[in-house]
Amino acid sequence: MAGVALLIPLTLNMDATGAIIMLCAIFYGTAYGGTITSVLLNTPGEAASAITTIDGYAMTKIGKAGAALTIAAVGSFVGGTIATVGLVAAAKPLGELGLLVGPPEFFALMVVGISLLVALAGKSMVKAVISGALGLLISMVGIDPVAGAPRFTFGVDRLLDGVSFVAVIVGVFGLSELLSYRKGAAAPAVHAPNFRSLLPTGKEWRRSAPAMARGTGIGFGLGLIPGMTGSVSSLLAYGAEKKFSRHRNELGKGAIEGVAGPETANNSHANAALIPLFTLGIPASPTIAVLMGAFLQQGLTPGPTLFTENSEIAWAIIASLFIGNLILLLLNVPLVGLWTSILRVPTTILTALILLFMVIGAYTINFTVFDVFVMIGFGLLGLALRHLDIPLAPMVLTLVLGPLMERSLRESLEISQGDFGIFVNRPISAVLIGLGLLIIFSPLLKLRKPKALNEDPET
Amino acid sequence: MKTRIRLAAVAAAGLLALTGCGANAGATNTASDFPRKGKSIEIVVAFGSGGAVDTAARLIQPVLEKELGTNVEVINKPGAGGQIGYTQLTSAKPDGYTIGATGSPSVVVSPLDPSRGAKYTRDSFQPLGRQVIDPTVIAVQPDSPYQTLKDLLDAAKASPKSMTASTTGLQTGEHFAMAQIQETTGSEFAPVHFSEGASQATTAFLGKHVDILVANVSDVTDLTKQGKARVLGVMSEERAPSLQDVPTFKESGYDLVAGTVRGYSAPAGLPDEVAEKLEAALQKAIEDPAVVQKMNDLGLQTSYLNGDDYQQFWAAQEEDFKKVLPLVQKTD
Amino acid sequence: MTTESLTTTPKSAARVAPSVLVGIGAFAAVGIYVLVSSLGLGLWTSLGPGPGLFPFAMGGVLVAMALVWLIQELRRPSETAEGVDRGLVVAVVVSLAILASVMDLLGFQLSTFLFLMYHLKLRGRRTWVTSLIIALTGSVGAFYAFNYGLNVALPVSAFPLLNTIGL
Repeated sequence: MAGVALLIPLTLNMDATGAIIMLCAIFYGTAYGGTITSVLLNTPGEAASAITTIDGYAMTKIGKAGAALTIAAVGSFVGGTIATVGLVAAAKPLGELGLLVGPPEFFALMVVGISLLVALAGKSMVKAVISGALGLLISMVGIDPVAGAPRFTFGVDRLLDGVSFVAVIVGVFGLSELLSYRKGAAAPAVHAPNFRSLLPTGKEWRRSAPAMARGTGIGFGLGLIPGMTGSVSSLLAYGAEKKFSRHRNELGKGAIEGVAGPETANNSHANAALIPLFTLGIPASPTIAVLMGAFLQQGLTPGPTLFTENSEIAWAIIASLFIGNLILLLLNVPLVGLWTSILRVPTTILTALILLFMVIGAYTINFTVFDVFVMIGFGLLGLALRHLDIPLAPMVLTLVLGPLMERSLRESLEISQGDFGIFVNRPISAVLIGLGLLIIFSPLLKLRKPKALNEDPET
Repeated sequence: MKTRIRLAAVAAAGLLALTGCGANAGATNTASDFPRKGKSIEIVVAFGSGGAVDTAARLIQPVLEKELGTNVEVINKPGAGGQIGYTQLTSAKPDGYTIGATGSPSVVVSPLDPSRGAKYTRDSFQPLGRQVIDPTVIAVQPDSPYQTLKDLLDAAKASPKSMTASTTGLQTGEHFAMAQIQETTGSEFAPVHFSEGASQATTAFLGKHVDILVANVSDVTDLTKQGKARVLGVMSEERAPSLQDVPTFKESGYDLVAGTVRGYSAPAGLPDEVAEKLEAALQKAIEDPAVVQKMNDLGLQTSYLNGDDYQQFWAAQEEDFKKVLPLVQKTD
Repeated sequence: MTTESLTTTPKSAARVAPSVLVGIGAFAAVGIYVLVSSLGLGLWTSLGPGPGLFPFAMGGVLVAMALVWLIQELRRPSETAEGVDRGLVVAVVVSLAILASVMDLLGFQLSTFLFLMYHLKLRGRRTWVTSLIIALTGSVGAFYAFNYGLNVALPVSAFPLLNTIGL
């Protein structure tokens, strides 16, 4: 987001096509950039790659950082390219498809997302639900988005705008990880990979393929929906891997699927989100809005008229999406070796630098040290949750989904004038709610199957 | 371990001592060097991306950058019908590096209703310039049976709340317009509040999740061209240039005028020198012929007023809206 | 969700770890606080679901889950995680808090320089040369990279004296 906004001035002297192509490239380029720090340093560069830290960093710890980054780059390429094919082949009907999702369907989708908490639960369902409830409560801090009443701000004006998401995830994941290093094991067991292990093994490729396919589908579908952010896609893709992958028991311990799924979904989402912009003139996310601003600057109105009135520009942009995704792949795979060499830096130096990056990252959200304190506070909360063996992933999931869920619930009930039946009377939302319930209750059904199938071979 | 803690304490004491030494030092930045090169100016937009407020801000942004010689960034802070963004704007330091797009009635009205708990009043803003007046329109789905405004309002009178209509949030211009319609004609719609702004409301209308789009001229200009909305009436004195075929409410026999008025403001307490620089730059940007032309294309009529006049305009609006406020307040 | 297995039986006589009890108590307390305060926000208004509806539900969930967890612990206490390195936690948290408190006064460069020196030289026991090079790059270098390269303004010192020498 910041990247695109920062570079708009640079493009003002370029011609329209060049300027927009450059901004598009930055836009999906940042969707990959956040992955590098997630995998290597356990500190997500942006919200959409927060979930990648779980298995990405676990892979780093067992010396597979190179494989994780390579798979993430390939996944990003696959997701982005397929989404662009969708844009070329069927932009108009796909754009209309996104419109079918009204507030009740949006809410139902959120229910599906929340039901994946079950999949993310780990050992104890109770602890996962506590984590999820905490995330929802944190997301509610600030001014109520509908009626305007301040909630849980404790009289602190800075909190009226809510707790900043980046400060929370940097604290909960990155800082609490640093704080939880134990004596004796002061150096985290991170191995810098040798050259051979930079590339994924054949087995890892085979395992990644279905995860990438699921990730592409999830990211593409959600990218079409106006108002959906990329982090929802990557979280749901991770949830889907936890639920459906053949190696779901290994997730959380450094499974390649946990990187391939979310990273593919993330880029597929980013490219699919251009479809509502091109066909309806609706910017699906804040970052796309920056792009839309660039279109307007150049005297172009995004929307269906773009293809008829400025078709050469529209097609040039689409061509650039293909090339850009390819360049991203070609640039990043050879650079994986360079990125992973970060891990050869001695731990004490690395720790000091990570702390510095976290401070800069938190400070520059709103240019106030308040967010640095928020990050410190959530670092301590994260440490406490780790100590109590409460999973962190559900909290991040609900933190993202909470505001969307609440808003769509209240809009739905305004449409139906208070009737909860709206969620089951409309076919799409009924199907989605049914799917959510199925996900929640399917573990109960599975109990009848032979136990050996479910049991983790390692425990 | 003890040494570590001791060292931490020493370092802490050292830093505290350093800060203590200079605690009586004054502020550094003077107004005369505003804007400092390399320090970005943020325009807080209190509505979601893609709406008319956002679009207007993004159009003036490059001209402002040229005039002020530094980066200008547009930041969206949507929610609660503008209140979240306005809170952020008014709680920012009045140093000129944070300004905001302000739309009335929302900015005038949100502090009037005590149940909203707004942290600001009208005096918390320092208006810098008005940009546009965007009249309210009422539109139906292209396949709707209602061909004229009278058809629609009569139907809504016969069975109140049978049709849903969008607003951009509780107590925003659209909500007031609906209340005014109800008061003068007795026609009642069920409001659905899309508190993040017009682009969210338009999206829901396009997906046919709401029956009626209550919006501004700029929101429906492109939709009408594409045949995706049928505008039945404009709530202005004269027909809108971009919607020449659509009759005003007056022509249809309803004496109602409503609209959203947008401009730019800073948190109150800006140094005079900074305010002058910003006002001048904003006037240049708002009246820039290329910007005015792009605004026209989007159905937005530029109507510049300087900071003082904009402030007086607000004061007059406040009086008007105080009268109709009870219509849009919750009744429990 | 875990299946009861034979290996856990010997632990059933163990007592619930104090830290777990504190955790459960804290979650229950937060839940009760949320329940009470969300009632004040209004669960339902004439205009539809109120601002308190969602928090109320979450508060209820927290309290209920804390109770279930307590029952589970009483029946079969869970293993407690290994203790944390308190020295490390204190050093990192306190140094970060001090950095955040003084950054607006001393400016980014001086405060992060001291912060990095503390972590590299005092805690990390790196050599003076390494520490100085890295600390200077991370403070002064980062400041110039962000300010002039990316146009992102990191704070400068609030003291005129420091400010005039470029800090």
